[in-house]
Formats: sequence, C-alpha cells, structure tokens
Amino acid sequence: MLSMKNISKVFKTDLVETHALRDFNLEVEEGEFVAVTGPSGSGKTTFLNIAGLLEGFTSGEFSLDGVNVSNLNDNLSAKVRNEKIGFIFQGFNLIPDLNLAENVEVPLRYRGFNRAERQRRVESALEQVGLAARMKHLPTQLSGGQQQRVAIARALAGEPRFLLADEPTGNLDSLMARQVMELLENINQTGTTIIMVTHDAELARRAQRNIQIVDGQVCDFSMYQKADQSLVSDLTQAAGLQKAASSDC
Amino acid sequence: MFLYYCDLAWRSIKKTPMLSMLMVLAISIGIGITITTLNVYKTMSYNPAGERSDNINSIQLWSQGLDTWDDFQSNITYTDVINLRNNNELGLKAATFRTGLAMQSDDPNIDPILESVRVTDSDFFSIFDVPFLYGNAWDKTVDSQPAYQVVIGEKLNQTFFDGQNSVGKTIYLNRKPYQIVGVIKEWNPQPKYYDPLNGAFNDAEEIFIPFLLAEQEEFDVWGNTSGWKFEPMLTYQDRLNSEKTWLQFWTFLENEDQKSQLESWLSRYVEQQRNFGRFTDTAKTPAESFQISNIELWLENNDVVPEDNKVLVGLSVLFLSVCLVNILGLLLTKFLKRAPEVGVRRAIGASRAQIFSQYMVEVGIIGFIGGIVGLLWAWGALSMLHAEFNMKESVTGLDASMWIITPLIAISTAIIAGIYPAWVVCRTKPSVYLKAQ
Amino acid sequence: MLHIKPILSSLMRSKSGPVLLLLQIILSVAIVANASFIIHERLTMMQRESGLIEEQILSFNVYNFDPAIDNVQQNVIDQQILRGLPNVIAASSTNMMPLSGSGWMDRYVDGPDQDTAESTPGFALYLGNEHLLETMGAKLVEGRNFRPEEINTQLDQNGMVAMVSQPLATAFWGDESPIGKTMYQGKQTIEIIGVIDKLQGAWVNHSNFEYSVIQNIDFGGGFKNKTYIVRALPEHIPALEETIVKAFLAENPNRVVDGFSSLIDMKKETYNNHRLMATLLSMMVILLLLITALGLTGMVMFNIQRRTKQIGTRRALGAKKRDIVNYFMVENYLICIAGGIIGGLLSLQLGQQLMSLYSLPMLPISYPIAAIVGLLVVTTLAVIVPAMKAAKISPAMATRSV
Repeated sequence: MLSMKNISKVFKTDLVETHALRDFNLEVEEGEFVAVTGPSGSGKTTFLNIAGLLEGFTSGEFSLDGVNVSNLNDNLSAKVRNEKIGFIFQGFNLIPDLNLAENVEVPLRYRGFNRAERQRRVESALEQVGLAARMKHLPTQLSGGQQQRVAIARALAGEPRFLLADEPTGNLDSLMARQVMELLENINQTGTTIIMVTHDAELARRAQRNIQIVDGQVCDFSMYQKADQSLVSDLTQAAGLQKAASSDC
Repeated sequence: MFLYYCDLAWRSIKKTPMLSMLMVLAISIGIGITITTLNVYKTMSYNPAGERSDNINSIQLWSQGLDTWDDFQSNITYTDVINLRNNNELGLKAATFRTGLAMQSDDPNIDPILESVRVTDSDFFSIFDVPFLYGNAWDKTVDSQPAYQVVIGEKLNQTFFDGQNSVGKTIYLNRKPYQIVGVIKEWNPQPKYYDPLNGAFNDAEEIFIPFLLAEQEEFDVWGNTSGWKFEPMLTYQDRLNSEKTWLQFWTFLENEDQKSQLESWLSRYVEQQRNFGRFTDTAKTPAESFQISNIELWLENNDVVPEDNKVLVGLSVLFLSVCLVNILGLLLTKFLKRAPEVGVRRAIGASRAQIFSQYMVEVGIIGFIGGIVGLLWAWGALSMLHAEFNMKESVTGLDASMWIITPLIAISTAIIAGIYPAWVVCRTKPSVYLKAQ
Repeated sequence: MLHIKPILSSLMRSKSGPVLLLLQIILSVAIVANASFIIHERLTMMQRESGLIEEQILSFNVYNFDPAIDNVQQNVIDQQILRGLPNVIAASSTNMMPLSGSGWMDRYVDGPDQDTAESTPGFALYLGNEHLLETMGAKLVEGRNFRPEEINTQLDQNGMVAMVSQPLATAFWGDESPIGKTMYQGKQTIEIIGVIDKLQGAWVNHSNFEYSVIQNIDFGGGFKNKTYIVRALPEHIPALEETIVKAFLAENPNRVVDGFSSLIDMKKETYNNHRLMATLLSMMVILLLLITALGLTGMVMFNIQRRTKQIGTRRALGAKKRDIVNYFMVENYLICIAGGIIGGLLSLQLGQQLMSLYSLPMLPISYPIAAIVGLLVVTTLAVIVPAMKAAKISPAMATRSV
C-alpha cells in the first residue's frame, strides 16, 4: 500500500543542513492501522507531509498503492491527495466560513463530482460521524470533538484508501478522544488504511502496529512493545534531549 | 467550478467588508478618473471622417516670407485658393470660409437672426458626405457663375418652414433673396473637422452659400485672418489681393496616384508663383512649400485635442497605477491572512492552479464591482464637467466604447494587482499551516 | 530614542509589503508634485488683473444688415443712445474685448524703412475713441487720453495717436518714456501719447497677453459688425441688456443686437479650461492622498494584527506604549523618506517630460519637497491611529498561543 525506501529529506539554510529524515524505510500494508510516535523534532511531521504528498523529499523512493509518486508535479500530487488520501489534523482545520456540509463538500468540489453525487456523499459521510442533523451549522458552533468528527467526515467523503491523522486527539479531552479513536477504528474495520501520528502512548497501543521515529529514522518497536515499555520512553527522552541539544548549535 | 469560486469570492468579500470596500473604492476612483479623462480624450480625438480620412485632404502653402512664421498656416490666401479652384486635374474640390449673415424669411413673425454661414463650393457636400433631406447641392455651374442659392440645415428648416420641404422657397440673407436648393439632414460632425479653427466643437453651420458670391457681397470673415507683413486692408479687394491667409481648401483624392499628381502640380505651382514674386522664402524648395493633410494630420495640426487633456490622461493613468499598487498591497494582506485555509484546501486536493483561479475570480469580482462603481463616478464627473464647465455634450456624453473599455480596464487592473498576491498564496507550502494552530 | 537599525533590517527582510508602500509613495510624490505645480500655475494665471474694472463691464455686438444704413453715422448715433441710457456710466465702440478670445493683433515698427526698422513685439490692438479708457476703467500712468477732435473713423486716415500698456512700453523702450515717439505702419505714422498701467489682450494663453495698444479710431465706421463696451454698476448690468436692445431696435429695426456678455462671464469662459484643469487636478491630488492614506492604514492594521504576539512580547519585555507607537512611526518615516526621495527625482523627470512634450514650464524643486512633506503629514495621520491601537495590546498576548 505505502512503501518508502531510503527516503531522505534535508533542509538547507545558509548556515546549517538539517536532516529531517535519513534513509527512512517503511512498508505499510493495505488495511493496517499504524501509529507513529516519536519525540518532537524527530521527523514525524516531515514523514507525514511526505506521506501525504504535501512535500517533496531529497532522495529515495516512495510509492503509494503500487504507483511511484516520487516525482509527481503539483497537479498530479493534488489529484492523488484528493482521490486517495484523507487528512485529519490536530487543529481540525475546518474552514470557519463554511458550514459543515460545505466543509465536507470541499474535496468533492475539487474532485469534480456533480451536485447530486456531492450531496449523497456529504450526507453519508456526516451520517457516519453522527452529525447529519447539524449540516447547516458553522464549525464554531460545535465542540472540539464534534469538529474533529466533521474533519473525519471530510476526510471520508472522498472515500480514500488511506487516511493520515496528525495528532487527531491532541486538542481533545479524554472522553472525546476515545470517541474519535473509536471512530477511526471503525473506519479501519471497513478496510481503510490509517497512519496516525500521536504523542499519546495509550492511543498508540490501540493501533495494530507502532512505529517510532527517532532522529529521522524508523525504530520499529512493535517487537519491544509488549516486552519493555520503559525502555521505549527512556529512548524517547534520550532522543529528545539529543535533538534539543543539536538544535541549539 | 467557476460558480463555486464566485460563491467563495463573494463570501470572502462579505467577510471583510471594510477591506473590500476600500479596494472597491480605490479601484473605482482610479477607474472613474481614468475613464473621465479618457472619455474626453476619445471623443475629442475622434476622427469623424472614418475611412474617408485619407481621401479628404486640405492644402497648406508656405506662402510666407523668410523668417516670419515657423509653421505652415492652416489657412491659405485668396489668390492661392482661386488658383487651386482652377486646377482641373482635381476631381472634387472646395474652397471654404465662415461668415455671418442676418437671416430672415417671408414670415414676418420671426425676428431676424444672425447666423453663422459657410461660404463654399458645391463639391463641399460630396467631399464631406453631407446627407440631404430635401433637394441637393447647387449646380456645379453656380461655382463659376455665382447665383443666389442656398443650402440650409434641418434645424433652420424646422424654425422657418415647420420642417416642410422648403426647396424652391426664398430666404433673405442681409436682405438679399436666396433660393433654397437643398435641406441638409441633421449633420453635426464632432469635432467639427472641416473647420476646427474656430472652436473644434462648435456646431456645424446651418446655412451654406456659393463661394464666388464672396467677391460681390464682400462677406465678413468670421475666422482668423493672419498676415506676416504689413498690408493695409481698407477695402474687400485689398483682402482678396493680400498675402493674408484666411481660407481653407479641400479636395478628395481617390488614391496615391492622384496624390502624387497633386504634389507635382503644387511644386510646379510654387515655382510659377515665385516668378510672380510670391513664395519668397527661398529657404524652402518648392517641394517643401506645400503640405497635403489628410483629416488625421489636419486634426492633429490644429490641436483639436488640447494639451491639457493629454496631460490629464497621462496623470490619470499614473493615478490608476497608484490605485493598483494600493490594491496590490491590500490583496496581499488579505490573501496572506487566508494562508491557513489555503493550506487545508491544498491538503484536501486543490491544485495550485485551482487555488490561483479561486483568488483570481475574487480579484476579478472586486475589479468588476470597482469598474461599475467607477463608471458611475465617471458619469458623475462628466455630468459635472458638462454643467460646471460648459463642456459640450458631444464630449461629456459617455462614449459607447466606454461600456467595454471600463470593465476591461477595471478587470485587467484588478488582475494585474491580483496576480502577485494570488501567486504568493498559491505557492505557500500547505504543510506550514496544517500544524496545530 | 529611535532604534532605526533594527527597524531597517526588519524592513529589509520582509520584502513585498514595504516595497509596495515605497512604490505607492514614489508614484504619489511624482503625481502630487507635478499636479500641484500645474494647479498653482493655473491659479496664478487666473488671478492676473485685466486692468479693467471687471465687475462693471458689459459688451455686446450689433450687426447692421440693412444696406441702406450709413455705418459711420449709425455708430455715432448708437453711442449717443448708449450714453443717454439711465445707469450707463460710460460707453464706447471697440474692435475687440479683453479676455474674449478673439481680437486684433498687430505690431508697429520704429522707422519708415521696412528693412532697417525694429519691430515691437506683437500686441493687442484696440481701436476706440476718447471714451474707451474711462469705459474700461483703465488707468493712465503717463501722458494723456485722446482728445475728441483727434478721433478717426477710418484705418487709413492721418493723425494716428496711440496709448500703449506699461508692459509693452517696458518691453520695447525699457526705462525710456515712449511718450512722443513716432511709430510706423507702412507709410502711416502713429504718435505715442500715453501709457496705460495695465490692459490685457484677448488671448489669455498668449505670451504677449499684457501688451496692448489703443489707437484713436472710432471703430464703427465702414463695418457692419460692431462691438460696444458699456460701463455700469454691477447691480444695473442685468437689466441693461433689455434696455439696450429695445433702444437700438427702436432706432433702426434692421439689425441684430446680441452677444451680451459681462466681462466677469467672459473671463470665466475664457479661463474655463484652466479652471477645469485646476479643478480636476485638485480632485486628483485629494483623492490620491485619501487613497494612499486609507491603503496605508489598512496595511499597517494588518501588520499589527500579524505582529500582535511580537508586540505583546515587546511589551512584556518592558517596552513602553510610546516605544511601540514610535516603532511604527519610524518604520513609516523610513519608507516615506526613501520613497519621497526617489519620487522627488521621478517627479523632476516627469516634469522634464511634460516640459518637453507640452508647453509647461520647468517644475521647481520646491514642489516635490512640498509633496513629500504633505505625504509625511498624511502618512503620519494614517499610521498614528493603528499604532496607538497596537500600543494598547496587552503584554499578556505574549503568552497566548494564537
């Protein structure tokens, strides 16, 4: 489904070169629910941006759904994002001027669906997240959990094969976080591949597979996971300190 | 998709009403001023001769002495006009000047009026394509055997003859009876291209009489008489014999051949006149001593469009560019503020081109509204010019072309102003704005 | 204390915003300087005095189309009628009206030999009788007026005398008095007998506008078309038109009496284009300043919004309200001064272009400078309001993660 081979991403400024990802390798199978954890600055966001075709990378090979997407132009990558990928963000990122239905409709507009098709999909997506009755509300009239569910509906409306979630519960209290997580699990049940970046170790544990990114590289801890949780957090802290130190210079 | 963009644009415009109003205000004022000056310029620089512009030619002669006038005079002398009239190589030709006469009819109830009168030849009507309502120009023989015949305008016909066919009736000019041979159908070219020398936007005369009558009737000259040397002018004959310039001469040239034929005739003419002691400025060769001006050149040489107007057009274009820069800044401000939203749209699958289009549609709508408001400003300003400064309606009336030019300028101004901000905003990296706000 | 350097370097880093502002100021200075110069030039033109008592002057035309009329005789009768009318202070025939846009232009030479004689500059040639000076209300500074017995009726008669305007006298004779000098037109001689303080000609745009001569010819003789000039108190002028037409037509109906115009109206009409230009340009300058100010306010407001957190942080670090206001003001002045200097140079260049293309005089340096000062004032007003608002931002903003 998703395959990254030796991906590197280097940010250059006049003074320093920062390796956000180095020789990053990852394979995700169809239907998997993968949780990605790692300290801040480890390269999680860069990984997510590359996986979501929001950013290019310096070297390596990336294929999605069996198609090489390493060097797509803007139009094609926009098309892939639109058709195959759904995004869920920590800050929900709903467009405040648009009501719920219109927010969910946005990707369908760019997809070029006709009116009837758009309406059908918007209704079913909102149905799925339990907010069909509030279609005409503006995002600001909703609670955080509800907003995130709208964002999920928006991601689902395009019926993507592949869902990218960036700290989807980061701005939510624990009750709402659990609801959202359950929703994601349901979606995963229907066959949608999900990659979720999170800080929350508890949430991460609920995923089928855990990946830790440290210093721009994958440490697949799935084998350690059950064995020694404390080792993981030690490593995490160490990496965090190391990163903090390196960003100082 | 376009309608979707329009919908988004309209929401965005409504969301920041002050900023949107400011932009519409800026663009509309810029447009208003530009269209006002452009309208006046366009109507003033209009060439009423249309495709006949190259065919209708007036002749200027360098008959002045050495070190006198620096330019060709628009008018020429009576001697030269008579000689040109006798040039049989020319097809259509007409001498002309303006006079004024008191007009009366057989109707004693109408007070005499002092009317501006054109003294000219029968070909004048063909050269300038003057339309007739009744009758026709006087016969060609009248150009050599003067007769008291007259062509009047529709308006005058209305006043004195209730708009009836008055051909064959008599009017009195300075108490002399003239027989009406033709009535001109509403004809008032603006600018008055056949004689812009006494007010380029004055109305056309309503009375036309045969040229050769001037010698017998000694019509006053209502126009410029210029001399470059001292010549006493005590009698009308003095005027006719003098080197003073006060007449125009027109001819219709079918093609380049006829033009070069006229050129060689004029060269020979100047040479011949030099033998008679005229055309004394020997610094000019005979070939340099005449000028054949088509209508375009003629209008330009007679400064039909005042310099002020050109300065105004230039300054208003600069003004518009200030408005443009102003809007550019405001748009940049506004669009950058919306960068997070663009980030979301990009992540969801909008291509750069789609984002760019979305913002250009918004800019276009602002431009369009600005154009409409600007047209209103221009209309107001032109009405003001008409009312306060007695400017002719023919100049202050909104030219039909402005309905196309205005939105065109407005939208292109907005688009030029919008390209950079829209480009900047569509280039922003979506990932930057997607992290927690 | 002004910290110019950090402001400058922050300006250099954020490119487009300040560049746009700079561009706008450059263009504004160029336009405002040239426009206000033209406005001033036109206003000065319109303020020139004609030398006549403008508000008391009325003129009109008489066209005698009856061939039986003896024009010389009629002219004398008509003037007697005019002078006999109630409320008429004085009246005279004339060949032209000052400021009217149509008239006679001529020159004299100072010797009988055409080839060696020196020519005066071209001047407006007024023909009138002994009443003309009083009717106009023009003042003699030297010499005398025509005597009644000196008045001619034809252009070719002998015994021509003339009064010249002071500017013409100075231009041709310098400090020397022209009184008693003999001038020539062909064989004809003209003796200068008086100098008039001020008398303008017909064409307001002509460079010899102030050069005028009145010659002793009662211009009615021989011509069908005559102009009369009448002096009366302003309150009597409106009613005079009807009185005059009635009196003239009663005397002889075979004529057209029209073209009534007060000198005030004539002046207004003749300066119409200049008034128009001055009005349009003033409108342009005002609107330009308005748009620049509004645009500037909008941009500064946006800048402040964008920098809310930064301003809060500065406040938290101990910046006084005044420091915040100063920051924005200094930023604005830096852009203004840079734009002003470039704009000033551009306006001089533009002035040069206008001068070479059109008959505009050279743009004096004071105009760009005034325009820059004006823009500084306007931008100060435009920036101070949002800057004050910025200064009110609470230091607590620094800790808020918005």
